[in-house]
Parts: sequence; structure tokens; C-alpha cells
Amino acid sequence: MRHPSLVLPVALAAAACSPTADPAFSSFSCADATTASCTELTAEDPQALLDAVNALDGDATVVLGSGTFTLDNQVTIRADDVVLIGQGIDVTLLDFAAQEAQTNGVDFVGNNFLLQDLTVANAKKDGVRVEDSDHVVFRNVKATWTNGPDASNGAYGLYPVKSNDVLIEGSEAWNASDAGLYVGQCTNAVVRHSLAKQNVAGIEIENTQFADVYGNTAEDNTGGLVVFDLPGNPIIGRDIHIHENIVRNNNRPNFGPSGTVRQIPAGTGTFAMASRRVEIESNTYENNGSVDIALISGLAIEPDVSKWALDTATLVGTWEDLDLDVEGGVTHNFRTDGVYVHDNTHTGGGTAIDNGSIDDRPLGFLLGVLYGQTPVDTILYDAIGESSYDATSAEGNSNDNHICIGSETDATFASLAMDVLIARFEQLDLPSLDDVYRPDAPFAPFNCGGLPGDPIQAPTVTDVD
Amino acid sequence: MTRTPVLAVALAAACTGGVRLDVEADPAERLSTTGLVAWDGTALSYAEGVQPYTLNTPLFSDYALKDRAIYVPPGEVATVDDGGRLQLPVGSAILKTFSFAPDLRSPDDGKAPVETRLLVRREAGWKAWPYVWDDDGRDATLQLGGDVRDITLIDPTGEAVTAAYLIPQKNQCADCHELKDDSGRRYMTPIGPTLRNLDLPDADGTNQLDRLVSTGILTDVPPLDTVTPAWSMTGFTAADAATLPPAELDAAARTYLDVNCAHCHNPHGVNGISSQLFLDVANDDVFHLGACKRPGSAGKGGIGREFDIVPGDHEASILYYRMITDDLGAMMPDVGRSLLHHEGAALIAAWIDAMPPDDCRGP
Repeated sequence: MRHPSLVLPVALAAAACSPTADPAFSSFSCADATTASCTELTAEDPQALLDAVNALDGDATVVLGSGTFTLDNQVTIRADDVVLIGQGIDVTLLDFAAQEAQTNGVDFVGNNFLLQDLTVANAKKDGVRVEDSDHVVFRNVKATWTNGPDASNGAYGLYPVKSNDVLIEGSEAWNASDAGLYVGQCTNAVVRHSLAKQNVAGIEIENTQFADVYGNTAEDNTGGLVVFDLPGNPIIGRDIHIHENIVRNNNRPNFGPSGTVRQIPAGTGTFAMASRRVEIESNTYENNGSVDIALISGLAIEPDVSKWALDTATLVGTWEDLDLDVEGGVTHNFRTDGVYVHDNTHTGGGTAIDNGSIDDRPLGFLLGVLYGQTPVDTILYDAIGESSYDATSAEGNSNDNHICIGSETDATFASLAMDVLIARFEQLDLPSLDDVYRPDAPFAPFNCGGLPGDPIQAPTVTDVD
Repeated sequence: MTRTPVLAVALAAACTGGVRLDVEADPAERLSTTGLVAWDGTALSYAEGVQPYTLNTPLFSDYALKDRAIYVPPGEVATVDDGGRLQLPVGSAILKTFSFAPDLRSPDDGKAPVETRLLVRREAGWKAWPYVWDDDGRDATLQLGGDVRDITLIDPTGEAVTAAYLIPQKNQCADCHELKDDSGRRYMTPIGPTLRNLDLPDADGTNQLDRLVSTGILTDVPPLDTVTPAWSMTGFTAADAATLPPAELDAAARTYLDVNCAHCHNPHGVNGISSQLFLDVANDDVFHLGACKRPGSAGKGGIGREFDIVPGDHEASILYYRMITDDLGAMMPDVGRSLLHHEGAALIAAWIDAMPPDDCRGP
């Protein structure tokens, strides 16, 4: 079977100049396709789109013309080697506002899938859901809800899950009531040159192994760019490289109806939670009102250790080389271990804390109590799991979790002992900043020069061809 | 899709002319081509060798009336696996026809078929093909892309309602019919035909399983006194929920959840694994059944409620709320229900309320 291949810009230009070109297919037509079969569909007949994708037998291109396809059910694809391509973001628009069941916009299961040059709007569930698939490319795809940010919007914008070799580039997600650009339970993922705006979580990397996240902009979300493991999931996240992103103005009040992201305080730039082997470097943080970077244990959101127990026989992917506690075939992944933060720039953050409450967004609550009118330190570490903690001296603090803060521009740092401080609060013994370790640069003992072990392994994901 | 104008429209009457089904071939454009079934204006008639069957407790699908049948090729026979599921030989088919009547208090008056879902057993596994009946009811046409229809009806409680009735796309059949095996491979499977759900008397009093065996299409059925039949929802009304004795209430609720939820909510369900809520009748772990269990991700179904089931308090239970709401971000099942199933909701409410109360706050 031949594989679909991406047509080079040269070919696109040629198609645009062809004298026979249909104006609805001015950017891409079947003349540009290289798969065994190709179908052109116009916006006037949305049922033909549903019929066509359900008849796919693999090695096929479906070209969507310009205009709005009004759809009352999801576009369900179960085939390999499929290209679904439109004429451009907002030029080809799939509008699912008429859906009357809890379904996604585009729903794909298969291998070698390219989705390109279109907008998916108003899906009741997720904009584009890709599950259990190998080799998936999203290029110039926008997922949005056109009524603006709202708790009744679908959960996720672009949602590849349980998949391998995923590339998201040149794409956008707006107004999702959970995460905009999401990568979950995946192995090898690249998210680059994309935009996440007005979502609860802008970009979210969850229970994923080997991800390269760079050159993106996350702005005006509740939380900008987040990395975490959920309890009970058999893929232990690792090797996440976050660099050269712009994370700014993520102060949108949390409008998530439920779920983990409901706990994100507005004003969060980046957090890494229950994560290991994460490098956060050369990003630009601007005006995130609560905190730019927070490094926290999974126990901060799920204090019950037993919920984090994983049977090592069921684990997926590579984990043996990680520094995990394994006893009797059981391990846990609540710990945040091995984070290297360096060469980021910080401006204007920490001056508009989202207080939350002790049950709802406890991190924001604690920051409100501690900092009051004082700007929050730009990098926070919760120190959960450290063998020693002392608010007043470098020597009194262990760094068992290998938290390394390198050279930063305009950064301050605090180690919070979050569990201890929250326990004090609950006993009405109000903590203050005097109880927080706030060293000057170079932030000893957290001034180590990198991760233990090998450098972060950045994945590469090839084009679908 | 192109529709082939065929003379068969006129020919497709009550007589099917015998089965002409090639499961390995591309699906026939017209259902009449298979010769499996025809509609005579008031009822379905099946070709010789096609055996109709009913279930003790059916899946709720917006109060659609359902006619089911099994076809096993001549000389072949279906068997029963260890889990009590029928295993059909290659070349077999299962037909499920969904019909509506204007007033479901008298379902035989004005009944008209909307769609027939045809599951065929290929060498490589099961395939599902959706056929939509023509407006004149004479034949049904393959419609891979499905449809959504507004269907107005009076439900069995006398309430006038309009369903946003979903005729699934071919690829959406997998939402319910697909499981994962132990190696993670996905496969399609029928759901309804199990010994326990087929174990019921026909209209003439003969046990349905005995009939299927006597026609030669089914074997390996154990002695019927060793089969525990599924609870029968036939004739059940919402008011009956309050009168069921405790043991029957539990059997009834577990059967209802098994049929209506467990195709996803079981340990092998592609879409249900992540919830860790397992509603299959084989599950005997009360936590995974939902008692004081926090949801994996209940979306809007989780607003204001913390646990899948709060024993003794159906109003506080996410499971019940997701059954009764018609809020698209919260309702369950994801597909196949746009109306409230009064009878099922009353049953589950009674079942939860009969559990020993627990506020899920620990000792």
C-alpha cells in the first residue's frame, strides 16, 4: 500500500495557478493528492462527507472545499493512511453546533493520519480526537468554540490520546473547557509553532513519554502550559522538553466544569506535577498573575498515596531507568523528580493571585495567604517529599527530587513546603513568608547544572508520507 | 452515495425470495438484495433460516421498537462460549430493525421501520452495516454516513416527546460493539445475544433457547436449569420500581446496567476502561461498581456531585444524574439516547436508595 504524502508548497502553488482549478479547491485539490484514491467534497453537501469517511478503505485523501460544512454528527474515520485536508484555517470550517449527541468533531482511529488546513468548531465533546493511533500529524488545524470561553464548551481542542508519533504544528485551540492543545498517554510527541488561547489549560502534556514542546504561544488561558501525570495511569510521563515558548497573560478565571484542570489557579504560567525528567528552558513568561513556574508533587492534588500505586507489570513504555520506588512489583508516580529550569525570562508575574479556596485550587489559596500584596516568586517548588526543609538556610534543605534552577533572567525562587504549610493553616496556625525558603540566586541547594542521568531525549516525528 | 434506482423496490414485498448474503462481499446497496428480511407494511418477515429473537432486557434507544433476528448459513451452527455469549460461524448475520409508532402505548398501530443494522460475520471478524428504510417502507438503503432524525412520539408514559434519533454511521457502530482483547487488539462483537438474556419463553410458551436449538442454528446450550436468566424488563413501569423485593431489585438493576452501560463500562471496553467504572454483571467489586468512587473524568456530569454512586442517595449519585440529564456534556450513554428512559431511571434510583446509606466521608 502506498502512503499518502504531504504535497510540497510548489505543488500547491501550481494547483492554484491551474486554469481548471475550482475556486472551492484553490489551495488543494485531488490533483495534488498522491494517495491511491481521492475525493473532493464541497460544503454544500455535508452528508456526503459523512458518507465518504465511512466508506474509506485506507490510502485515501479526502479534500474539503472552502466554506462551512454544517454537521450534526461527528466525522468518524476508522482507516489507515488517510489525509483529510481543507483549504486553510477558517477557510474550510467544520461546524458541529447542530450535534445532538455527545460526540467529537473529527474522531480518528488508525495509523498514518494527516489532518491539515481546516477549522473544527463547536464540537460537543472534543474538537479532534485521535485514539490508539500511530503516526498522526495535525498541521494548520484550528479547534474552537465560537461563543468564546464557556463551561458548556467541549472539553478538548486537539486531543491525541494513547497514540505514538504525534506532531502538532501551526495549529490553534481556542475556548476549550478543559485543555486546548492536549497530548495524553502518548509516546513521542512534538508540539510546535502553535497557539493556545482562552482555554482552561492552554497546552497540556499528560502521562506522556518523550515530548518536545517549542515555539508555541499560550496566552489568556487559566493555565498556560502544563505537564502532569494523573494517578492510576500506566504510562509514567518522562522526558518532556519545553523551550522557546511564549507563556503570557494566562489570567483567565477558571471556567472548567470539572476535572483536574479545575484546580488550576488563574494566573498560572507553567506547572509540572507528578512529572519527571522535565526541562523548561528559554521560554518567555509575561504577566502570569499567580506564578510563572510551579513544580509540584502529585500529592498536592491527590494526597492518597494508594491512588498513585501502579503495578509495574502493567506499565507501558520505558520506565526501568527512572528513579522510581519499586516494592513488591508496585511503584508510584506522584513524585516530581528531575526538573531543570534555566534561561527563561520573567516579567510582570505574581501580582494578581487567584486565591481559590483550600479545597478548590489550594495552590492559589496558599499563595494568597502567604504573599498577600507581595509579588509571588516566579519559580515555586512545593518541597513535598524532601528529607529536610529549612526556611532560613541552604544547608537545611535537601534536594532529593533533583530540582535544578539554572541561570534565569529576573527570576526569584521559593521552596514552599506546601504540605506543611497547609497543615498549619488547617490548625489555624497561620503561616507567613517567614516560613518559606526564598534564597537569592543561585538558589542553593537547587543550583545544580542539569538533570541526573542522560539529557532529555527529544523525539522526532516525521511527516506522514 | 449514489442510489441505484432498482426494480426491486416493487418486488420487495413480504416475500424475500430467500437469503442471498455474501458476507465477504462489499455490502449490498439495498437490504432487499440480501433476501434476509422484508417489510409488508405492518410487520417484518424473515427469510427461511432467519430466526427472530427477543431479549429479557433490551438496550434503551429512545423507546425505539426493536426486532432482532439471527441468520446462520445452512449446515452451520452457532455455539456458546464460556461467558454465555453466542459464537456465530462465518457467514452468519444478526439483524436489528429499529421502528417507531406515533403512540408507544399502542406500539403496533402505525409502526414503521427507520433503520436496520446488519452485523455480518466475516472470516476476519464482525462488520456492521447501517441500512435506512425508504420513506415508503419498501426497502432500506445502505447509508454509511448515518443520519440524525427528529422523531416525535408519545412515550409509554403518555408524554409527547421529540427524539433527536441517531442512526449511527458505520464507523460509530464500534463505539458500542468494539472490545479490546488481552493483547490490546480491538475487535467487533455482537452484544445482545447471551444465554441469560435469551432465556425466556416465546409467545407459545416454548423456551426461546430451546426453539433456536431445535431449528438447528444453535448448539452447546447447557441444561436450562443451570442458566440464570437475566431479569426481564418486559412490562416494567416506573411505578414498579418501588415494589420490587430487594433481591429482585438488585438483579433488575444489575441487568439493566449490564445491558445499557457495560458495552463500554467493562474492563475490556475501549471507551470505558479509563473510567474504572465497570457495570458488567460479572463485576462483583462494589468500588468499581461506583460506590463512593470518584469519577475518572465525568465532565459536566460531575458538577456538584463527587461520587459515581452515593449509597442510599440517588440524587447525589453521578451515575443517576448522567442517566436523567439531557445536557449533552453530562448525559450517558454518549450515543443512542436523547430521551429520558423513565423506567430505567426509576429502577436505578430505587436500587441506589436501597443500598445501606454511606455518605462516602469515611468512618
